[in-house]
Amino acid sequence: MTGLTTAPRPRLDIPPRYRPAGIATGAVVAIALILVHWYAAVQTNTSPKELLEGWRGLWNFLFGVDRTYPNGKTIHQDGAFPLDLRWSETIRPGLEYCLLTIWIGLLGTTLSIPAALFFAVISSRTTNRFVPLWFLGRGVMSVLRAVPETVYALMFIAAVGFGAFPGVIALAIHNVAVMGKLWSEAMDEVDQGPVEALRVAGASPVQSAAHAVLPAVMPSLLGLLLYRFDTNVRSSVILGTVGAGGIGFFIKTEVDSFHFDTMMTYVCMVIVLIIVIDLFSAWLRKKVGTV
Amino acid sequence: MRADHLSSGAMLRVDGLRKAFGEKTVLDGLSFEVASGEVVSLLGANGSGKSTSLRCVVGLERPDGGTITVDGVSARPGETTGARSSGELARPLAPSEGVTARSAEAVPTVAMVFQKIHLVPRRSVLDNVCAGALGRLSLSRSWSVLAFPREVQAEAMACLDRVGLADRAREKAGRLSGGQQQRVAVARALCQRAQVLLADEPVSALDPAASEQVMNLLRSLADDDGLAVAAVLHQPDLARRFSDRILGLAGGRLVFDSSSEVTDQAVADLYRPALEALEAAEAAEAAVAGSTAPKESTDSATKEFA
Repeated sequence: MTGLTTAPRPRLDIPPRYRPAGIATGAVVAIALILVHWYAAVQTNTSPKELLEGWRGLWNFLFGVDRTYPNGKTIHQDGAFPLDLRWSETIRPGLEYCLLTIWIGLLGTTLSIPAALFFAVISSRTTNRFVPLWFLGRGVMSVLRAVPETVYALMFIAAVGFGAFPGVIALAIHNVAVMGKLWSEAMDEVDQGPVEALRVAGASPVQSAAHAVLPAVMPSLLGLLLYRFDTNVRSSVILGTVGAGGIGFFIKTEVDSFHFDTMMTYVCMVIVLIIVIDLFSAWLRKKVGTV
Repeated sequence: MRADHLSSGAMLRVDGLRKAFGEKTVLDGLSFEVASGEVVSLLGANGSGKSTSLRCVVGLERPDGGTITVDGVSARPGETTGARSSGELARPLAPSEGVTARSAEAVPTVAMVFQKIHLVPRRSVLDNVCAGALGRLSLSRSWSVLAFPREVQAEAMACLDRVGLADRAREKAGRLSGGQQQRVAVARALCQRAQVLLADEPVSALDPAASEQVMNLLRSLADDDGLAVAAVLHQPDLARRFSDRILGLAGGRLVFDSSSEVTDQAVADLYRPALEALEAAEAAEAAVAGSTAPKESTDSATKEFA
């Protein structure tokens, strides 16, 4: 169109996308990964053959089997399907157990808030510039987090006996460490500008935390809290299977007494419960304005 | 009028300030003074040390050497000069060579406003202004916005009125325009009872009308309230119109200090080293074909010290 486009442009070589060194590194990493997985499969007896051989047992579990004993009697062992749908014996108690599971997850989350906030504040560079205390906070949380909820639950069951309460305590302790870490990371990422501005105004670290950091991260903290509530309800199902109350406890009891149909009904209720909590938490997080 | 202010003695005195970030020297013996009632502009290319010098004065950076004196009182290096000014002004101290830690004595308040304003957008305008008073409030009176004493809130309202935004007190700071937010930031500085106001590119993010308004406000704070104002600017034109003196910085040193009649040539010279450095970097890059690393590092270094 104009004189600008008429000058021929020089032809340049297109730089290669991959370098030979990069290709070699990629190959080494790929081979190493394949070897590690092959070794892991050997160690765990994972093979298509095992899966085929386990197929029959799985079928019997799902749909029942007639067992013939040496004395000539044949007894039908019920499978997981059809489901046990008796209202007063199975479904109504199942709903109550589900609610109990929610209460365990709720209290486990809520009771951990003060300590989680404390550890988050001392473990974030934004709110705590005193390095020894920062290390202490990080260290305590790492140790608490290294122990799974289930192990805490086993310990508290040993101490206070079966029931929902040890589940609540186990979740709360584990959640202090996990939520504290998530919260402190959220605080680390906060815009440092207002923090600096308040430092110039002579604010102490606690004052900057209260007036610059917390207002900025509050939506993130709420979002993470809801996410942890969601996760803790799931965890409390598992805690139940080791004896810490809720629907998990009854799944374990039924499977131990070979009532696979009742067990499967409870499993279906857990699926619905988890999906409902998940949707609710996502909806609420959206309302709060995060994610 | 301006001579009067100058004769009343320097409110802020910076002497032989040195600061290096790793290998890179940013401040190389910078000295300047700002008197009460005076607006001083700092001009200079990116990396000339303008912002760093202000950040050293308020204690956001710790200088490697030199002294900072506010109203005759030495500032403790690396400590915020806004901290704990309970009104008991300590005895004037002789400027000491190098940096020595001072015992805990009150320093008159130095406040700062920033290019990015740095309000808390979710908080109300009034709460943001109240935050300027944090340095003189105990934790029991400041753990939450609900604990702010009525006197502080009343003082904050007065500060808001000074910048013409008293009617917006209960709105969220984030809902205001950029120019209004910068005025709220100035109100926060006033609520800090600042005697020295430092402004780090206060209008760089604002449109011309808002810039005008903020610069007028800074001018009036110097003229009517007797504050000592030092502003880093990137607009020589605004500097000429609103300041009593213009300081030209290059390579961390003062290259001119003049009452506003600065020649265009002097200003252009100020930015020439940066332009030359840029051209040199591009030439070097062209010479080292294929490697992009050096350019990136120069760029990030320049940004960091801007």
